[in-house]
Amino acid sequence: MGRKLTNHPLYFAVFISFIILVVSPLVYVLLTIFFEKSPAGNFSLLISIDTLFLLFKSISIASAVAVLSTVFGTVLGFILYKTKIAFDGFFKVALLIPLFLSPYILAVAWKDFFVLLFGSSSFISSHTGLIIVLTTIYTPLSMLITGSALANINSQMEESGLVITNLRNMIFKIILPLIKPALLTSFVLVFIFSISEFSVASLFGLRVFTTEIFTQFSAFYNHSLAILQSALLIAICVLLLFSERKYISDAPFLSIDSRGTNKKLYPLKKHKLLVLAYLFLWFFTTVVFPFLVLFIQSFKGGTDKFFQAVELLLPTFSNSIALALLGAVLIVLVGFVSAFHSLNQNQKSNSFDNLLLLIFAIPSTVFGISLIKFYNNPGLDFIYSGFGIVLIAWVGKFSFIASKIIGNAIRQIPKSMDEAAQIEGVPFFTRQIKILVPLILPSLFAAFIIGFIFSLGELSTTIMVYPPGSELLPIKVFTIMANAPQSLTSSMSLIVFSLTLVLISGFFIMVKPLAKKYSSSND
Amino acid sequence: MACRMKYLSKLLIILTALFTLSCSNNSSEVVVYTSVDQIFSEPVLKDFEKETGIKVKVLYDTEETKSTGVLNRIIAEKDNPQCDVFWSGDPVRTIVLKNKGITTSYKSPIAKDIAAVFKDADYHWTGFSARARVLIYNKDLLSEPEVPQSVFDLTKEKYKGNVTIANPLFGTTTFHLAALFSVLGDEKAKLFLSDLKKNKVIIATSNGDVKKRVMTGEVSCGLTDTDDAFEALKEKENIGFVFLGQEELGSLIMPNTVCLIKNSPNTGNGKRLIDYLLSKETEAKLAKSCAQMPLHKGVETPVGVPQLDNILPMKIDYGETSQKLEEIQNYLKEWVEN
Repeated sequence: MGRKLTNHPLYFAVFISFIILVVSPLVYVLLTIFFEKSPAGNFSLLISIDTLFLLFKSISIASAVAVLSTVFGTVLGFILYKTKIAFDGFFKVALLIPLFLSPYILAVAWKDFFVLLFGSSSFISSHTGLIIVLTTIYTPLSMLITGSALANINSQMEESGLVITNLRNMIFKIILPLIKPALLTSFVLVFIFSISEFSVASLFGLRVFTTEIFTQFSAFYNHSLAILQSALLIAICVLLLFSERKYISDAPFLSIDSRGTNKKLYPLKKHKLLVLAYLFLWFFTTVVFPFLVLFIQSFKGGTDKFFQAVELLLPTFSNSIALALLGAVLIVLVGFVSAFHSLNQNQKSNSFDNLLLLIFAIPSTVFGISLIKFYNNPGLDFIYSGFGIVLIAWVGKFSFIASKIIGNAIRQIPKSMDEAAQIEGVPFFTRQIKILVPLILPSLFAAFIIGFIFSLGELSTTIMVYPPGSELLPIKVFTIMANAPQSLTSSMSLIVFSLTLVLISGFFIMVKPLAKKYSSSND
Repeated sequence: MACRMKYLSKLLIILTALFTLSCSNNSSEVVVYTSVDQIFSEPVLKDFEKETGIKVKVLYDTEETKSTGVLNRIIAEKDNPQCDVFWSGDPVRTIVLKNKGITTSYKSPIAKDIAAVFKDADYHWTGFSARARVLIYNKDLLSEPEVPQSVFDLTKEKYKGNVTIANPLFGTTTFHLAALFSVLGDEKAKLFLSDLKKNKVIIATSNGDVKKRVMTGEVSCGLTDTDDAFEALKEKENIGFVFLGQEELGSLIMPNTVCLIKNSPNTGNGKRLIDYLLSKETEAKLAKSCAQMPLHKGVETPVGVPQLDNILPMKIDYGETSQKLEEIQNYLKEWVEN
């Protein structure tokens, strides 16, 4: 894209700001632990048989969730992106809903569902239950990744394949090998999400590696050991990411639209009903059932508790939405700069990209403690005692996703367009504003909305760093939930659930004409 | 160049806005961190704000989440305290802070008629409005004569697999077990826990989870706190509760505690808030909202709220029990995990 952004002051400013504001706290905390007076005791606890066994258990659970999510996600992706099926637009959006909800709220709904139906939650509160619930939460992510890859396959390759063999063979011999980077990306990302997830295992009373970290934090107040244990988790995630970095950087992660590809759609013929039934079953299981459980529990004693929940949450809306909007702007800025830089580098991965990924993989409690320890000093009070620290937390956590969405969009823009403008003498910034930004606008918008929804609902790091005296939506829901009657708890979850639904619908309504407009103008 | 300047100026505006948002420290405010559920603590703090004109900045957390947020935050802020007052739902957390050198002494004149057992000897913390540990039971599953009357009854064969307690590594359950270790001695307490485990006790994630499991009939009874029991009673009629050990060990009484943070930014206002929390008026409010038992004499309480005078309390020293808690924590971890 002409002049490298690497050399540009904007890249430099964003990259350095990210290093100082987001990465330094972690480095600082790790250094203080390694150089503390008697770290030997913590190191011996870190490599104890019990810790290693827990780590093995968490790796096994995360692997199972990653495999299952990738398999189910690929099937759903294939149905929605490669077949002629009714209501595909609806399902593409509706099936994403679990991804945007707090895993904790979904786990509560699942547990209540089993108690309502069977009088006991013992099945769902097991390791199998944990795998099932996490799979339903992360399958939409796999669907997005593999669906994007499937939508980007050049139809000529499929047609050539169909000339010499049948559809089944073509899928296994051509399509799956072609989307291998997406399959691996899906596996790695779901694995990282699952192994770092704490709230569902905790709610089910299961002991995994993240609950052990939590115990060290909250029962023993041993921050050093907890952070060392987290470092082990981070090391595993980073090793996995690095071993698969070639594929991950190639995967068309989270495409919002696909350009220049001739998409082939397969008719379903006699399997149409069966496939539709599969889609509806998945939709009912992962979206409708949790919603119904919350709905029944909210209104079974009348509407009073629901209105009380609205009254309690209403004052948090404006503050939370305004802050999440600002957070989303910063997330898009960092994501854009990182993506742009990444695509202009010759090597397959680069330091900015890797740093975004590293922060993304860190357990929230550790990230929160790192931010507190780093920013809580008199010179940085202006960040620590205000919303600055919350924004830093959100940018650290969600810029990776924005970077991947925007990166994929930039990759689809022919370099020749920028080069032609460069030959005409159009300056760098004008080229980006007049050519690149309009072409990737749907993706920028998608990254903005996803950043906004994730920021609005983020709880685990926000609760560690939010300023005293402020009211933010997820914090209020969580703190009121304790000791509140079941119907009030369900009503608050229902409101968050519904708000997410409205936002996703709004996003879909807004992004559809935008994507259409810009893809047609490009064609 | 002009374009670049435009972007830089926008960035500057955002940073300025953030800075302005952040810089709101002033002397007519007090910062309080609390692990008492927001639904109960918020009205009290709002009343203090209204009555004194001092702005109260609150950081809420919940016992349900083991107070990870506020307590770890106070510990992490040790070298540059932001919080003036910590209001805890039990004595354990304030004692943890005292042992870490984070609190400072404050002898509130308001607390002079509160019994010495509910105050730290050096006045690093003071107790007020108390809860008690109780056994909550499902009336559909247990008739009155079948209800256990002592913690030791929970190890009997007839309750096998039908009793639940919250994870003893966290919250008030930790303190309950530490109190049993203090009163019974290590050997007897370990034997009791081992029998409880043999009787297939179900370990719930929190006291709220205990309440939920008993209400849904998943188990017939469980140990929890009086406020959870009263909430359960409000929600369902088939729930009952009893104070255990009224003829032997007594019931564990857990006061709220409040402490002043060392080198806090608004010490004067912090002391005023502590006085307010320790007042009879606050105790009356907490008795009304969550059935907590006043420690002052002569506080008006709603019908149904138990009176401390009518309960045989477990005879413990809170400081020593907290010390015991630290000693047994590894044992408890093993007990939960194996």
